[in-house]
Amino acid sequence: MSTNESIGNIQEQIVALLPRLRRFARGLVRNPHDADDVVQIAVERALLHLDQWHRDARLDSWLFKIVRNAWIDEVRSRGRKLKIFMPEEAGENVGEASMDRVIDRLSVEAALSRLPEDQRLAVSLVLIEGLSYRDAADVLEVPIGTLTSRLSRGREALQAMLQLPGGEIS
Amino acid sequence: MTLTDETLMAYADGEADAETRALVESAMRDDPEVRRQVERHRALREAMQGAYSSVLHEPVPDRLIAVARGQRAGERGPERAAAGVLRAPLRSASASRRWQPFAMAASLLMGIGLGYLGWHTSNGLVKSDASGGLIAGAGLAEALSNQFAADRPAASVAVTGISFRNKSGDYCRTFSLSGSSGLACREGSSWKIKVLAESAQPTQPAGAPDNFRQAGSADSTAVRVAVEESMAGEPLDQAGEIAARRSGWAAASAR
Repeated sequence: MSTNESIGNIQEQIVALLPRLRRFARGLVRNPHDADDVVQIAVERALLHLDQWHRDARLDSWLFKIVRNAWIDEVRSRGRKLKIFMPEEAGENVGEASMDRVIDRLSVEAALSRLPEDQRLAVSLVLIEGLSYRDAADVLEVPIGTLTSRLSRGREALQAMLQLPGGEIS
Repeated sequence: MTLTDETLMAYADGEADAETRALVESAMRDDPEVRRQVERHRALREAMQGAYSSVLHEPVPDRLIAVARGQRAGERGPERAAAGVLRAPLRSASASRRWQPFAMAASLLMGIGLGYLGWHTSNGLVKSDASGGLIAGAGLAEALSNQFAADRPAASVAVTGISFRNKSGDYCRTFSLSGSSGLACREGSSWKIKVLAESAQPTQPAGAPDNFRQAGSADSTAVRVAVEESMAGEPLDQAGEIAARRSGWAAASAR
């Protein structure tokens, strides 16, 4: 944080990453407004602790880590787990997607929200955000073997809930 | 050899090394079951990505952009606060003012305009230190050093809120000035201002019933986040504050 330029520059990089941070949070918190609140809290924290970001580390990974911590803190410390995780949360935001896509999407979101926290984080980072196993393990601060086992269990549970096509041999 | 499901998953995720890739591809040619398993992994990945890809194209709410640019910690609207789902004070930052980054070296300023800061400075409440950060000026330092949360004089400009030790062992206290609130920590012989933020609500009028928790409720999100993040243990009670004052608010390591 040596110059105003660099602060502004980091802020603009954070702005550019907001869509991905929002998507990541949406995988963790179904209600879109609550998900954005988690992002907001995370961004506030990030700005308070810019000195803890090492320039050689990826900014997106660092921010994902803060989003994840903000989410866990909210869930734990506020004791509002039920409120946040209510699968039948009102206000599903379906946008203008076609009906098929809506059904598809709701079921994916519902399934993801039923996974345990650890698996949901692993699935969100790897399958939704497209992080490598190594990067996802870094964000979650776990060994890579732990990440792959959470991912594997999460996938198995999702497959069971979603009954996706694609397993059939054509 | 038998390929584990985790190996097939890694292959579908593009995480397998060349040797494993060759093994999996050979197995896929020979064994429809392996092919089916890999396809399942791929289909799930696509379904997950597809379900959330639209979020990337949604317009990002202004409040998030404003917060990312340091344009004041926003608070959300009353309708969300009433729902009480998350921390209450997150609201739209549409009415925000830019903070001035000139003193960012060591203090975080949220929603504090230049003129406002200048006013605090001219009052001697806040001043810059050598590193470009902000420290409490005489009036504020006096209050931080001597007032207790429970017995602060109603007429005082600077009132103390909660007191606590941070993770470095330094004593920290929240304070509010008219129109702003902040967090200061005792470092050496000065009160270093960690956060100064425009108040979410007007400060209580002089003579209002004393209740430091109420004063705390006027703290901005930025102050609250800073308190939550830096506090080690519980806030000090009055006995703790008295002991701390007696020690001159010396850091734990210095005692």
